[in-house]
Amino acid sequence: MSKPSKKMTLNKKHNITGWLFLAPGALLILFMSFVPMGRALVLSFKTGVGAAMKSCGLMNYTRMFQDTVFVQSIKNTFFYLIIQVPIMLIFALILASILNNRQLRFKGLFRTMIFLPCATSLVAYAVIFRSLFANNGIVNWVLVNLGILDQPYSFLTNVWSARIVIIIALLWRWTGYNMVFYLAGLQNIEYSVYEAAKIDGASAIQSFFKITVPLLKPTILLTAIMSTNGTLQLFDESVNLTDGGPANASITMSHYIYNVSFKYVPNFGYAAAMSFLILILVAILAFLQMKVGDKRD
Amino acid sequence: MKRKILAALLASTMVLSLAGCGSGSSDSSTAAPAEDGAAAAEEEAAPAEDTGDAAAEETAASGDQTLTVWCWDPAFNMNAMYEAEKVYQQDHPDFALNVVETPWEDVQTKVTTAAASGDLSTLPDILLMQDNAFQKNVISYPDAFLDLTSSGVDFSQFAAGKTAYSVVDGKNYGVPFDNGAVIGCYRTDVLEQAGLTVDDFTDITWDQYIENGKKVLDATGKPLISMQAGECDLIMMMLQSAGSSLFNEDGTANIVNNDTLKVVMETYKALKDSGVLVEVNSWDEYVGSFVSGDVAGTINGCWIMASIQTAEDQAGNWAITNMPSLVGVDGATNYSNNGGSSWAVTANCQNTELAYDFLASTFAGSAELYDNILSSGALATWAPAGDSDAYGVGNDFFGGDAVSAKIVDFSTKVPSNITGVYYYEARDAVATAITNYINGSDIATELQTAEDTVNFNMGQ
Repeated sequence: MSKPSKKMTLNKKHNITGWLFLAPGALLILFMSFVPMGRALVLSFKTGVGAAMKSCGLMNYTRMFQDTVFVQSIKNTFFYLIIQVPIMLIFALILASILNNRQLRFKGLFRTMIFLPCATSLVAYAVIFRSLFANNGIVNWVLVNLGILDQPYSFLTNVWSARIVIIIALLWRWTGYNMVFYLAGLQNIEYSVYEAAKIDGASAIQSFFKITVPLLKPTILLTAIMSTNGTLQLFDESVNLTDGGPANASITMSHYIYNVSFKYVPNFGYAAAMSFLILILVAILAFLQMKVGDKRD
Repeated sequence: MKRKILAALLASTMVLSLAGCGSGSSDSSTAAPAEDGAAAAEEEAAPAEDTGDAAAEETAASGDQTLTVWCWDPAFNMNAMYEAEKVYQQDHPDFALNVVETPWEDVQTKVTTAAASGDLSTLPDILLMQDNAFQKNVISYPDAFLDLTSSGVDFSQFAAGKTAYSVVDGKNYGVPFDNGAVIGCYRTDVLEQAGLTVDDFTDITWDQYIENGKKVLDATGKPLISMQAGECDLIMMMLQSAGSSLFNEDGTANIVNNDTLKVVMETYKALKDSGVLVEVNSWDEYVGSFVSGDVAGTINGCWIMASIQTAEDQAGNWAITNMPSLVGVDGATNYSNNGGSSWAVTANCQNTELAYDFLASTFAGSAELYDNILSSGALATWAPAGDSDAYGVGNDFFGGDAVSAKIVDFSTKVPSNITGVYYYEARDAVATAITNYINGSDIATELQTAEDTVNFNMGQ
């Protein structure tokens, strides 16, 4: 250890150390994230094919609401959001409180198994779900052999089943991820609180609703905002699992933005404008969730 | 102490993984299959090219005899490039190719990214481009591709319908590569069980096809054809077989008033309703359906032969003929085209002389090359190659039939069509329309929606 410099007070020195630690990350984020975002904002006010771009004011922003495919993709995304996020968070919460039980054996094993899906690549798991639900996939094979279906059901070419398959896939992939947050949150709740409740005669369900949920509120809020954010940017599942089909019934906003940029005649201005709509939606929803969920002040 | 070591280890892994991410992209451009010693020289040359400085340009012009190429199929177009390299090396021993396997979707993404950012230095010298995307890319980014009209390639020796894909404003931007003439492929042993032969599928209409298909379905329980749901390959093939397109000459959408398209959609629905056609969800499933023997045939561009021939246990049980024709449509034929691609030279090419000469003396000048790649199903669109004896040789997989000569004959009869700049937009809109129509929606409404969607996309 070197001797502390005489010229700086300890406080100043701590401050500088702090800034030094922050600087590399902050600079990287500034140049690799915020600068491109600023450029994208400028781009969203331009239009044109390929490299020949010209200013067009707010045209891209008004245009997207006349775009039937984009409106469809907004509806699809919100469908996933409204159905999938609550189911997932409730599942995660239940799993976390079960795993928090001190009497439970093989806790580490269960925890690992539930978290493991998060370690798989998004593309890989989407492709595997696609083959699970294929006409000759294992799901159809089981259903036909059990006599539930006469012939294979084409899950991915029917509107509702395609959407439901995406939701099932998302649940499988992300429930464990959220559960880990809850488990971490539960570590901060004194176990004696549960023991006291037990002595007072509270059932497991009562202590879940009266102790776990209220005390976990900040964590629930965090996971809700993160899941909302993630769902609004959903891309891999739409591309790899259903390819947006059938007839755009499962296409997400990000998937459509990708198509506009790379599959169709490139229109980056319009694509950037649609991306900013996602940003605005995320901001609004996060704000609402914080207003509803956070009653600290 | 332990904790400190752990922290140091973690930090170093993170730094390493970051470095790994950073170099990932440049790795992929240099770490191409190093087939021969010359590739080693390329490894040094490529990063220098990437920086795009004057010094690098000088070395490229003075002595570097290496070209970088992007294409996507190891068994097919990459193989063709390696064969072309061998042919060219006979006269130019210093010449070397750096062929980088790049899936088409990635080629498109990389081209768009490079051209949109104005920094073309990440592009290779030559890349293979889907014919359907050629107009879109050249019109969107005219500065990214070189005009090959006066490059020394004799374009008059290629099939006119084929070169048309890569001609923009009367200028040639692509050297045609493979042929996408549509073939009908059938399992003769399965047809036999229904009392049919491949002759019953030659020069027929779709009505007859469905009738025959029902016989096969009754006798064997196998559908005749599978198609990927949500992709309209078959729709586009049917349309072109009658010389119809989704666009008019002037670039406006031709969907609502396209009577051929209506017939096509009705035919497709009839195929699906009869059970003769089965829809699958992905390309793998599509190929799997006929390779596994669950489906008794397929109709697609002739490049599908490469996939069919992977089913070695079915050798000798396949036959090839032309596709069915539409009923009640003027100009309906039994011939169409699906897919196919052309070589483009990018504006990042430093040694254009070499690239031009290479293309002119291989893909546009070497019958030997086309003979060598014929076995992989790469059929020439270069007329002189079709005269070669190799095209008359029978293929045992297809019952000893001279399939190559047959397909070259088909390709000369394909009606030409208009792809247009907004091809992929129109294709997706029609795919949506057909899906909704099959599920019971009204055909006129769906076509109107499709045309509105395309018009919306065109109104930037």
